Amino acid sequence: MNDPKRVVIVPCSGIGKTYGSVSREAAYDVTQDLRPESTELVPLSLLVLGDEQARAAVVGSPAITIDGCKLACATKMVKESGGEVTKDYAVLDVYRRYKQFKPQGIAELNEGGRQLAQALAEEIASVVDDLQGGQHG
Amino acid sequence: MVDLPQKKVGIVACSGEELAEGTVTRLAALKVLEQLRPKDTVTICLPLFLAGGEGDRAFARFYPTIALDGCDKRCAAKATELYSGKPAASVLVSELMTERDLGTMRRLNDHGRELVNRTADRTAHLVDELLGKPWDRRAGEFTNETTVEEAAEPIEATCSCGSGIPVQQVNIDGQVVTLIALPAIFQQFHEQGKVPGDGVTRELLNLVKVYNPVPAEQEANYLSALEREYTAFCAKS
Repeated sequence: MNDPKRVVIVPCSGIGKTYGSVSREAAYDVTQDLRPESTELVPLSLLVLGDEQARAAVVGSPAITIDGCKLACATKMVKESGGEVTKDYAVLDVYRRYKQFKPQGIAELNEGGRQLAQALAEEIASVVDDLQGGQHG
Repeated sequence: MVDLPQKKVGIVACSGEELAEGTVTRLAALKVLEQLRPKDTVTICLPLFLAGGEGDRAFARFYPTIALDGCDKRCAAKATELYSGKPAASVLVSELMTERDLGTMRRLNDHGRELVNRTADRTAHLVDELLGKPWDRRAGEFTNETTVEEAAEPIEATCSCGSGIPVQQVNIDGQVVTLIALPAIFQQFHEQGKVPGDGVTRELLNLVKVYNPVPAEQEANYLSALEREYTAFCAKS
């Protein structure tokens, strides 16, 4: 049986807004805690620079993007790099579903921000499972 | 008063998610922006040089910029130069490291946090140096001139994502030209009660030339276009 492809996770790396920090934290939650075996984090800065390895990663695998603002840098850059965005998340939309988790802080997220990131990460993990043919658990 | 962008220093961090050093760049940039030099600095997300608009790509020409990189791939410095303008200075975190173990990219340890402070201090020092030198916003480089016209109004140090530098595209003698800061200049003139006319248009051109290269042989065309655009602006305002 062929191993399913690892799913690429690309957060936006936004530096000036809380939602950017949530996107980064959610990406770590998925790639380090929830689905480390089936996901791979690709840094946006490498895609911006046109790094061959980073581009190959997004071209060769399904990609899930997490954007902190409407400018959707992560989604745009994956597409620019020739990748296919299987699912794109906007943190603001996610927050609308979890308004009990109010994120604050940029350098350090508050508890609400970490909870929002975790909730988002769990949604992403579910999508990863679907892409992997429901192999987790 | 309108806020024509004053002279600030741009900070662009690589924010590399896969290395603790990338987290150091991000936290160091935030420390400079929020604590050490909040009135003198502004930032932009690196991917906006590609994913954003003309105003975002004008960033490093408009502001002398410091690139903060976590590793020797130097994504921030190289991408800034490639898509916006040559950084005025660079900081490479890995060159400031004295300890290899910085913790994880999510949670830095004491060594990592100390490196954040050292990187931020180094960056703040560079900010002070750069602010002491005249910057030519037309050319995106330092100049030997002793003064470059600056706006008087301070603005909050903040993320420039999406707002970037205010720009406007203007048809000049059949060519579409992107003029940096033009919307803010128009707004300022309008608020000062200046009505379109010969003297005002010349004044407009002089201010436009602070931020944009204007070929001498094109000045008449620029004057004509500025008068037309400012008249339209006033009619709408």
